[in-house]
Amino acid sequence: MAIIELTNVTMNYGRGPRRRSALRGVSIGVPEGAFSVLLGPSGAGKSTLLKLVLAMERPEEGTIRVAGRDIHRLRKGSIPYLRRNVGVVFQDFKLLLDATPMENVALALQVLGMPRREVRERAASALCRVELDPRIRRPARCLSGGEQQRVAIARAVAGDPAILLADEPTGNLDPRLTQEIVDVLEGIRRRGTTVLLATHDPLVLDLAPLTQQIHLEHGRVVTLTDPTELSEDDIPEILPASWAGPAEAVA
Amino acid sequence: MLRPLYSLAYIIARGGRGMAQAPAVQLLAVGTIAVCMLLLGAVVLAWSNAQGVVRAWGLDVPITAYLVDDADPELVEATVRRLRTLPEVADAERVSPEQALRRLSEGLGEDGELLDGLEPSVLPGSIEIHLAPGTDPDFGRALAERLDQQPIVDEVAVAGAWAGRAHDLLQTLGDLALGAGLLVSLACMAIVWSTIRLGVYARRAEIQILRLVGGTRRFVHGPFVFEGMVQGSLGAALAMGILWLGFDAVHPFLERGLSMVFAAGALSFFTPTQVGLGIAFGASLGLLGARAAVAHYAEA
Repeated sequence: MAIIELTNVTMNYGRGPRRRSALRGVSIGVPEGAFSVLLGPSGAGKSTLLKLVLAMERPEEGTIRVAGRDIHRLRKGSIPYLRRNVGVVFQDFKLLLDATPMENVALALQVLGMPRREVRERAASALCRVELDPRIRRPARCLSGGEQQRVAIARAVAGDPAILLADEPTGNLDPRLTQEIVDVLEGIRRRGTTVLLATHDPLVLDLAPLTQQIHLEHGRVVTLTDPTELSEDDIPEILPASWAGPAEAVA
Repeated sequence: MLRPLYSLAYIIARGGRGMAQAPAVQLLAVGTIAVCMLLLGAVVLAWSNAQGVVRAWGLDVPITAYLVDDADPELVEATVRRLRTLPEVADAERVSPEQALRRLSEGLGEDGELLDGLEPSVLPGSIEIHLAPGTDPDFGRALAERLDQQPIVDEVAVAGAWAGRAHDLLQTLGDLALGAGLLVSLACMAIVWSTIRLGVYARRAEIQILRLVGGTRRFVHGPFVFEGMVQGSLGAALAMGILWLGFDAVHPFLERGLSMVFAAGALSFFTPTQVGLGIAFGASLGLLGARAAVAHYAEA
């Protein structure tokens, strides 16, 4: 079953002569539990695709279903509940630079309305998952790029989302740190989270335990590996948490 | 089930931390709100005390028909009913001797205990007649003459021109209070708007992250709205405090200097309930200003 499904999605930016096509009739399905790599040069439409899955943008045409729900029919007030099930990591980390790793990760859990003790425990657990010491008291600005990206990943997965979107997570990192981050993401996939990683760097294809590859160029899918090619070893041991969005979310 | 409470705890803690991050801005905002609220409070207090003076002097009742001791109650009621049918009469009310004694006692303020032990029957019953706004003064005089001829009426008192002046004074003060209220409301909301806008800019990275990790609108906006409410209520409370200190310092001089005016009713400050309402008003202004700012800037 595809946990992310785009059907004939078209997206343009700007108007008139400045109108630029970002995605043109894109149809893809990301299987549940996959490690999918969205590969393409800058401007291919990778980030736009991720933003659409996160309901940060609305497609001009086509439908996007996440865990079976047409997310662009969600009411505005239901979008936060979608995002609690879709973690996201960016190239520029988007961390609170004056806050510690623990505080950064805790932010994602406070949103869920958890008691402080549970927030601390789960934030520490998320940091351990990305092999960072939860006792680090330094602010994020004092961490290395690799450490900052680990904090961002920990924050994205702290709430146990069903999906993790990673937009050029290794863009600012050297090959050694790139391998480390890819390994961390694979560890997360093995715990049951579907990972969709967007990158322009073909090196990632060699490093990632690839289960699906989507090639985008000029807003079109150039090649798409068949999800049925997934081997038994690629299926995670723990299935993703059930969809936790409110029942009334679909308008 | 407790999740909303934990979220509320976060909102309050984050709002408090946000205020602590920029104490100078907060102090400036609270101080400016306090100055605005002080202006409004002073006008409202003057209006409220003027009403007290007018009531104590009986100027709020243009015509009072004092009844004879053995006035037939049915005849009195019939007269009141008849008066109420006149289009020039806004209201007509029978005042019993007991009510009259109670009012006199209230009007004397701290000296009210002088009346302890006095029988209500020492005061006559009366009919108080309020005229509709804009009624010709001649009508009042004519009505008074007609009432004076009634067998149940002993004597008629007409406040005359003073009643009109008192009414005008109250009207002016009331308009001033309303105008000041509107201006102060706008000013307070603008102050809160500005400080919250600064807070939103300073914390825009955090807002963006909160949205990405699934923060609801209420969760993202909550700390700012809380901050605005605290600013508004602190400003109002500070204004009330300053006003009380000023009132406490000035009112003995006013009562002594204007003893002719205040002899029948002491000056009074706001009741605790009114003070509470004033602070709640400040908090509401803060809430509105903050909500408007955060909806505009945090959603941009």
